Amino acid sequence: MNAAELRGVSYIYSENTPFRKVAVNDIDITFEEKIITGIIGHTGSGKSTVSQLLNGLLKPTSGTVSVEGKDIWEEPKKIRQVRFTVGLVFQYPEYQLFEETVYKDIAFGPKNMGLDESEIDRRVRTAAELVGLTPDFFEKSPFDLSGGQKRRVAIAGVMAMRPRILILDEPAAGLDPRGRDEILSRIVEYQKKTDSTVLMISHSMEDMAAYCDKILVMNEAKPFLYGTPAEIFGQAEVLERVGLSVPQVTKLMRELRRRGYDVRTDIYTVEQAKAEVERLVGGDAAC
Amino acid sequence: MLKDITLGQFFPGNSILHRLDPRIKLILAVVYIVMIFLAKGVTAYALVVLFTVFLVAVSKIPVRTILKSLKPLLIVLIITALINIFWNGGTTPLFTIWKITVYKEGVIRAAAMALRIILLMAGTSVLLTYTTSPIALTDAIERLLSPLRAIKVPVHEFAMMMTIALRFIPTLIEETEKIMNAQKARGADFESGNLIKKAKSLIPVLIPLFISSFRRAEELATAMECRCYRGGKGRTRMTVLHLKAHDFLFTLFVCFTVAGIVLLNIYLPVYTI
Repeated sequence: MNAAELRGVSYIYSENTPFRKVAVNDIDITFEEKIITGIIGHTGSGKSTVSQLLNGLLKPTSGTVSVEGKDIWEEPKKIRQVRFTVGLVFQYPEYQLFEETVYKDIAFGPKNMGLDESEIDRRVRTAAELVGLTPDFFEKSPFDLSGGQKRRVAIAGVMAMRPRILILDEPAAGLDPRGRDEILSRIVEYQKKTDSTVLMISHSMEDMAAYCDKILVMNEAKPFLYGTPAEIFGQAEVLERVGLSVPQVTKLMRELRRRGYDVRTDIYTVEQAKAEVERLVGGDAAC
Repeated sequence: MLKDITLGQFFPGNSILHRLDPRIKLILAVVYIVMIFLAKGVTAYALVVLFTVFLVAVSKIPVRTILKSLKPLLIVLIITALINIFWNGGTTPLFTIWKITVYKEGVIRAAAMALRIILLMAGTSVLLTYTTSPIALTDAIERLLSPLRAIKVPVHEFAMMMTIALRFIPTLIEETEKIMNAQKARGADFESGNLIKKAKSLIPVLIPLFISSFRRAEELATAMECRCYRGGKGRTRMTVLHLKAHDFLFTLFVCFTVAGIVLLNIYLPVYTI
């Protein structure tokens, strides 16, 4: 079964006003379950709109959004349930922290689900562990933490609801390289441990290449390309035509190819590149 | 939902009203209000209506936009009209509903009052808010109030605070929406429950909003200091306002209209109130 589907979905902001803007236009997208799908595209290509359509924060102007085979707007009164199934972590989620302690903030979501105390406690502890927060953080004020730690608290707040689909909008934006790797590898680990579906929006081709199983490229309110990182980054010309680029290491391999070296160009991680270069240099790699 | 609140209603354009000096517009808006209250008879009212229609036509702002801005006034209009119909005595009774007699004078007065409110709203919004950017408006206020500096009123500082406040209204609205969405995504429920529960449910929105406002204020203050801002003393402007020919012409035109109203009040009073 697919995790989520959009069928003929359009969403128009401020309809019937001079500020009318088509965010997504008659799109069909299928998100596969139990993998990490990356969504890339320019600002305004409709990435964030798709994420908000999936958890029912936005109601499509036309078309149907279904999660786990069920139209989420079938019973508009039960839309809150959809938000527990599809967890959404917004961009810069640390700006939404509000509770006195880290523990209470992570517990906000599960509490809204109406769970009992012991279940909430269990979920808070698991979620904190998943993002790498030790229990001695629990009684601290979230406002005393560093940027990266705040971000982890915010992400744990959504993970604690145990959504079957987790959407993260630019989870690594504004973090230093170490913070980026830490957060992103935690997300990969989370996906493996919970066997859930993860959608990740990002601008960074490197992150997409390194952490995603499938990639969806959005362009001008429509899905543009979909496939594995190798399939996507093998089409550098197509990506460049819509103003997107490929990971730096892919660029390097393409340049080597252009200069007459016989290397593959569908390479998108440093490890693959290393192996490929070693293969090319062969036994002479004793430098 | 929050986006429907239009505070800065500025409608960009290049009509004569847009190009008019904001100081002149501010003064003329006051004159216009006086004009409405000066008008006494049907003929004088007709002139004010004509003048307002002229303003709307010249501004090139869609009539639908103006009508839409009048919509929230509907309740006020109805109440004003009803009070005037039932509470005004007169000499020519029209009909009686359960001990209350409605007089012809009352109906005329009610119509006049309703019209007065509509004109007040439509005219000033076309003359000021729709055609003047909030920044130009605060600039004009600062210039017009600058004589008060002599008695140590910090005019520039007030104007700067107003400009900053106006500038951050859309930002705050956007921010509020973002935070509300984020808390909704965590299952927050803002709609159901009684008043106390609803107020309580806003805490997860208000706290992050306060924090980010303070953060923004601090950042803005630092940015201003980095650019050596130190209040109004000795500060020059990028755009210095100069009165041009069309400013004088328009003022003259308004003066004639006011004179016309006064004359019509004296010489052609029909159904005066």
